[in-house]
Amino acid sequence: MAEVHVIGQIIGATGFSESSLFCKWGIHTGAAWKLLSGVREGQTQVDTPQIGDMAYWSHPIDLHFATKGLQGWPRLHLQVWSQDSFGRCQLAGYGFCHVPSSPGTHQLDCPTWRPLGSWREQLARAFVGGGPQLLHADTIYSGADRYRLHTAAGGTVHLAVGLLLRHFDRYGVEC
Amino acid sequence: MAAASPSVFLLMVNGQVESAQFPEYDDLYCKYCFVYGQDWAPTAGLEEGISQIASKSQDVRQALVWNFPIDVTFKSTNPYGWPQIVLSVYGPDVFGNDVVRGYGAVHVPFSPGRHKRTIPMFVPESTSTLQKFTSWFMGRRPEYTDPKVVAQGEGREVTRVRSQGFVTLLFNVVTKDMKKLGYDTGPVDTQGVLGPCLPQGNPQ
Repeated sequence: MAEVHVIGQIIGATGFSESSLFCKWGIHTGAAWKLLSGVREGQTQVDTPQIGDMAYWSHPIDLHFATKGLQGWPRLHLQVWSQDSFGRCQLAGYGFCHVPSSPGTHQLDCPTWRPLGSWREQLARAFVGGGPQLLHADTIYSGADRYRLHTAAGGTVHLAVGLLLRHFDRYGVEC
Repeated sequence: MAAASPSVFLLMVNGQVESAQFPEYDDLYCKYCFVYGQDWAPTAGLEEGISQIASKSQDVRQALVWNFPIDVTFKSTNPYGWPQIVLSVYGPDVFGNDVVRGYGAVHVPFSPGRHKRTIPMFVPESTSTLQKFTSWFMGRRPEYTDPKVVAQGEGREVTRVRSQGFVTLLFNVVTKDMKKLGYDTGPVDTQGVLGPCLPQGNPQ
């Protein structure tokens, strides 16, 4: 079986209107993939930047997959939340990106979006906070029911992901 | 004698902790250590070190230079748990106590070649304003009991931190037998400037 190592970091995020951000991340793969070592999901620390406006998490990702097929290449999905001084959390954006398919280190910039609600919900969000969230997190990385959503752009999440492939040439796969 | 197929590969890393940018602090020293998985073992070189105390230069660059060498070799059977270098930067506060000014971690690059990494440094934050004042006053800031926590992903959900500086590292990486074991690490990066860097618009 071919093996894939995903080794990297979620560096941080820019472009969000809120500071004090954290990110919940997860990796989704197809049925042919098996996670041999590593944690499939996690949550970063909450960072309040002192210099500039980029929130830095430096959250390490180290995953080891074994795969029998190319379908269902891993997708990294992210939810960025902001935390205020009272400890309340508010959604800042959802985003996903595919793990790169060529070996080596890659700089990824993942754009994010958040669901807008009706004008009442938008007004409430501006004053009280909160706002609509997705019921099922898999809408973040699948295109199935997206046509129902009306969204606004959030900021960008920056990742540095390195990919190590093993035995792909035995199966004739070029990447 | 026919060469047996290897079961172990080697990773040799050398380089330096080059310099730091901490706009608000001066007279800093750093400690580095390596964190790696269970399948890894260091075979040569030093796993940890403490640098000299550096002051900012008087000119307009305000450069804080350590130029502190790193030289270590690891052997492993599995890339899982790839070594990370964990840096902790310390400096004096207003009362002269040694307090932590930042923690940061980055994976050692895995493609052979020369790599430059600039990593953000963050410090754990007290939960309440009263705690912030008492810790400032007593000189006992929140710090991690074991800096290796910075290299792990688990258990970070409840920590609040403040990012307040950057450290630049240079790595030269050489690997042995990774190709023979079937690993493809991607193109050899001779430029040294690809890979994790700060996005445009951030202080360099």
